Amino acid sequence: MIRILLITAIMILPVHAYAASQSMPLKSVLIDLNNKSSLQRGAQIYVNNCLGCHTLKYQRYVKFVDHLQLPAETIENNLIFTTNKDGEATKIGSLILNSVNPDHATEAFGVMPPDLTLIARSRGADWLYTFLTSFYKDETRPLGVNNSLYSNVGMPHVLVWMEGLKKQSSETGGYEYINKGTMTSAEYDNAMTDLVNFLVYVAEPAQLDRYRIGFWVILFLGVFSFIAFLLKSEYWKDVK
Amino acid sequence: MDKFITWIDERLPVSNFVKNHLSQYYAPKNFNFFYYFGALAIFIFILQIVTGIFLTINYKPDAASAFASVEYIMRDVEWGWLIRYLHSTGASFFFVVIYLHMFRAMLYGSYKNPRELLWLFGMLIFVLLMAEAFMGYLLPWGQMSYWGAQVIISLFGAIPYIGESLALWIRGDYVISDATLNRFFAFHVIALPLLLFALIYLHLAALHTNGSNNPDGIEIKKNKDANGVPLDGIPFHPYYTVKDIFGLSVFLLIFTFVVFFMPELGGYFLEKDNFVPADPLKTPEHIVPVWYFTPFYAILRAIPDKVGGVLAMGAAIFVLFVLPWIDRCSVKSIRYRGMSYKVLLTLFVISFFGLGYIGMNPATPVLTWIGRLFTLIYFGFFVALYFTSANEKTKEPPDRVTMHD
Repeated sequence: MIRILLITAIMILPVHAYAASQSMPLKSVLIDLNNKSSLQRGAQIYVNNCLGCHTLKYQRYVKFVDHLQLPAETIENNLIFTTNKDGEATKIGSLILNSVNPDHATEAFGVMPPDLTLIARSRGADWLYTFLTSFYKDETRPLGVNNSLYSNVGMPHVLVWMEGLKKQSSETGGYEYINKGTMTSAEYDNAMTDLVNFLVYVAEPAQLDRYRIGFWVILFLGVFSFIAFLLKSEYWKDVK
Repeated sequence: MDKFITWIDERLPVSNFVKNHLSQYYAPKNFNFFYYFGALAIFIFILQIVTGIFLTINYKPDAASAFASVEYIMRDVEWGWLIRYLHSTGASFFFVVIYLHMFRAMLYGSYKNPRELLWLFGMLIFVLLMAEAFMGYLLPWGQMSYWGAQVIISLFGAIPYIGESLALWIRGDYVISDATLNRFFAFHVIALPLLLFALIYLHLAALHTNGSNNPDGIEIKKNKDANGVPLDGIPFHPYYTVKDIFGLSVFLLIFTFVVFFMPELGGYFLEKDNFVPADPLKTPEHIVPVWYFTPFYAILRAIPDKVGGVLAMGAAIFVLFVLPWIDRCSVKSIRYRGMSYKVLLTLFVISFFGLGYIGMNPATPVLTWIGRLFTLIYFGFFVALYFTSANEKTKEPPDRVTMHD
């Protein structure tokens, strides 16, 4: 029986998790959805730097009240910058949209900037973190930057004001900074951890609930299985 | 209360039904681990129906809004995420359970005389279940939903003469489109569940006609006491109801662990690319079917010719239907069968797992050749079984069932 369970386990467990062709090894990032201040900082970076082009069109602002522990007023004053056609501020119950014109965006970047609600589920946290920390100067590209993970990406290095600009060093194979941003390299890495943390949350807000509830469900079923086993043994003790 | 039951029984024989199928339905007392999976399959079927009903309340079968409606369920519907994960995890576990249930039949010869029809109904359920799962997978309208369906339906195009028109007829369009999504929704939600329900009824009716086989592969009805009760039989209720409750609770422990802690199961239960909305203009670099189809998908890819591949894949499923007539050994259980069957079945299981692994991975030359070897072993099992089973060196099965634990 144990052998069979093992075989089943091997059959369903991820022994070879998704073999996509990878151009470089991914840096790993520590995700902690209980760190609300990290999620709040991530949300702040997102609406200030990313939302202009990338919507979160399946998510509603109002979810931040519970999930990020932000008062509704704070969200309305600091995270919502858009208006409707009549110029009224977007309501807190709305989906997180922007006003990018697809034709203009395609002309500028060659492609419509994708919605990022689920990007952490399709790409994974490590991929995003590596991507965000892998921009470098490349004069051959139309926007002057390239990305070591996603080569010839259409996206400019939006966060260059934070990180500063680096170039690939031919001797060490690493990077060296050409000019400084507002943050040190370590501060920028922390900021990107917050941003990725936020994106992981947005991709699946249910994570905040399912680990918590799952613990009690497993505990209940463990006790229930034990009682069910005793009941079964009681009935079966006469079967010879 | 008694009066009420009498009143009912005069109009509908409920008490008789309970007697005949539960309290005085005698099942062999020596069922082992493998005998949990029938009851578990029924549990999952009901779970899928119930969660499915709740999903349809908020799902929109429309190419423009399907993907967003699934995310709406995940975020804005109360407990929607749980219902969706129960349904998606349930689909994968349905196949885990069904594959183990089928393997049990191969271990103990449960498909043999007098249970051939039981096996045939079971095989029909398996095929319909694959159709049900395939069509359900299109509904979230992600990249893998879209391109998986595109690849599989284009296979029908390989059939000579009628192929292209057949594929067109199934899709209702030249590519997978809104028309396809709508009809798949209709099949997934109404047509196939109804058929499955009818077949499960027939499967159980056939089972209760001759009673269950058991790990010793002998008929308990050959040894009865003065009242006509099989000596090695015990009433299904309460003995197997309490045992199945225990089995179900352990199953749920594993099942809910996946639902709550790893619903994507590393990309095997919910594929990463399926979190990207379907885009007819952008083919994913690596189209893979969900894990439960990969053994058959690997057989398809093992054959260099498209028509040949489709035929081989069809044959791999069809050959299971005729297993009761391929296996000519009169001894049912592997416990008393010859070494030849033990070796063949082991090779068959290895090839099935091997094909499953290969089907999940990109077709490199090495993997393709190993896939061909496994395909050969898969079909070789049935050929060798046909020739060896008639004159197998078997042991004498016991008269009465044996208890191991």
